[in-house]
Amino acid sequence: MKFTLLFLVPLVLFTSCVKDDFVADTVDPSLRIDQAVDTLAINTEFRFTALYLNNIGTAEEVSILWQSSATDIISIDLSGLAQALQVGSTIITATFNDGNQLVQDSIEVHVGEETVIVNSDRSGVIATTSSYLLRGDFTLSAVGNGLELSIADNYRASTALPGLYVYLSNNPNTIANAYEIGPVTTFSGAHSYTIPAAGINDYNYVLYFCRPFNVKVGDGEIQ
Amino acid sequence: MKHTLLVFTLLTLFTTTLQAGGPWPQARGKAYLKLSEWWTVFDQHYTDAGLLDPNVTTGIFNTTFYAEYGVTNRFTTIINAPLFSRNYVNNLRSSTTGELIQSGDAVNSLGDIDLGIKYGLTKPGSRFPVAATLILGLPTGRSVAGIQDNLQTGDGEFNQILQVETGTSFRLGKKVNSYASVYLGANNRSNGFSEELRYGVEWGFGLMDQRLWLIGRLNSVESFKNGETAATVTSTSIFANNTEFSGVGLEAAYYIKGRWGISASVAGAFRGEIIAAAPAYSVGVFYDLNKTN
Repeated sequence: MKFTLLFLVPLVLFTSCVKDDFVADTVDPSLRIDQAVDTLAINTEFRFTALYLNNIGTAEEVSILWQSSATDIISIDLSGLAQALQVGSTIITATFNDGNQLVQDSIEVHVGEETVIVNSDRSGVIATTSSYLLRGDFTLSAVGNGLELSIADNYRASTALPGLYVYLSNNPNTIANAYEIGPVTTFSGAHSYTIPAAGINDYNYVLYFCRPFNVKVGDGEIQ
Repeated sequence: MKHTLLVFTLLTLFTTTLQAGGPWPQARGKAYLKLSEWWTVFDQHYTDAGLLDPNVTTGIFNTTFYAEYGVTNRFTTIINAPLFSRNYVNNLRSSTTGELIQSGDAVNSLGDIDLGIKYGLTKPGSRFPVAATLILGLPTGRSVAGIQDNLQTGDGEFNQILQVETGTSFRLGKKVNSYASVYLGANNRSNGFSEELRYGVEWGFGLMDQRLWLIGRLNSVESFKNGETAATVTSTSIFANNTEFSGVGLEAAYYIKGRWGISASVAGAFRGEIIAAAPAYSVGVFYDLNKTN
């Protein structure tokens, strides 16, 4: 009897197998025109491109339909190559049908004497999505071929979280396919991160995750 | 976060057995031995704000040998040794595509061993005995393991717990023996961990001619919060620090025949900071030399 019990005790170990947890990571698909073009110089060409993100925020190569609302101002072919024909304004639209819905993005483009591309900063507010302290404003700027993520002086983060990492992502619910900026080493006040070789419009979220246990702590949508 | 260490705190407090609880050293030459399986699986934890947050499912399983031996009537040696400790985290998959986002992982090894001595400050047979216990926590487990460095079978630090216990035994009615005890202790920790204050109460009573013992425990750990945090260490250590909690535990121990018996227990924190929020269970077989065979 006692020996049977001795053998039964370790059998509990068989319930200790690695299983699966699931994260709700569905997001709305989106299409984003990459170039922040304000004006095209008359009688010039310009190649537009767009980034399609699927229902988990992962980029996919798709066939995009390009359209101009005023084809006499700017004409554009199926590859996104635009011709600036005469002075005026038009709406350039990129469309993709993912089988369930039409996903679109549009920008207003003018034709004038010179080409103007606006490299404006983007910004947002970091907020906790957990019970841990996390807040602060941020600005994302294009610097050379990369980016600088500047966190404002009103930033505060809980120091109970070693293993806290910051990411750029297109899915606010998971770090899958996210760009890992690095470990958080500053827990209050202004600081910045340098991100090499990334475009200003490549990502839509700043994410904070406890990396070892894949727990989301907070996020900030990049406006 | 550092969930596995949270679990070790529970392990230390809730694996005390019928004989180890309280200010009663073993009689000279007497012993109490126990082999048990202790485990907890949790998918949420108490944060530093004392609120509940989710985490990837994590489990700890310990096969532990526990023993007390009376060197003299007032001096007892104690060992608590997790001979086999397993820690795992689940895979993380996309609920949209089913694809693997982060692989789960597991580590198996010897756990942290505790060595202790209990000394009766009062003479055996005192109406209100008082004892002092010193426990040395040896870092014999693995403090960092796994691909993500997020697994542990030990906390990686040498700590010393000194506690004082007192209690009394009494009868409930004509046939039921009972006892109650309280303890107060301090845990001195190394490696940047905060010191802790520990206290608790225990009440047990014997039924069926003292063959079935039912025990209730209330334990608390308060952190002095004087150790390192993520703001003061540069490494992204996974060790939990500044853990606090209050928890309850229930144990049933049954003498099957002679000195042999079986036990089962459950314990959990009802409030806490940086600690697992799930019950811990234990089943075991014990051999009590205090009983006649």
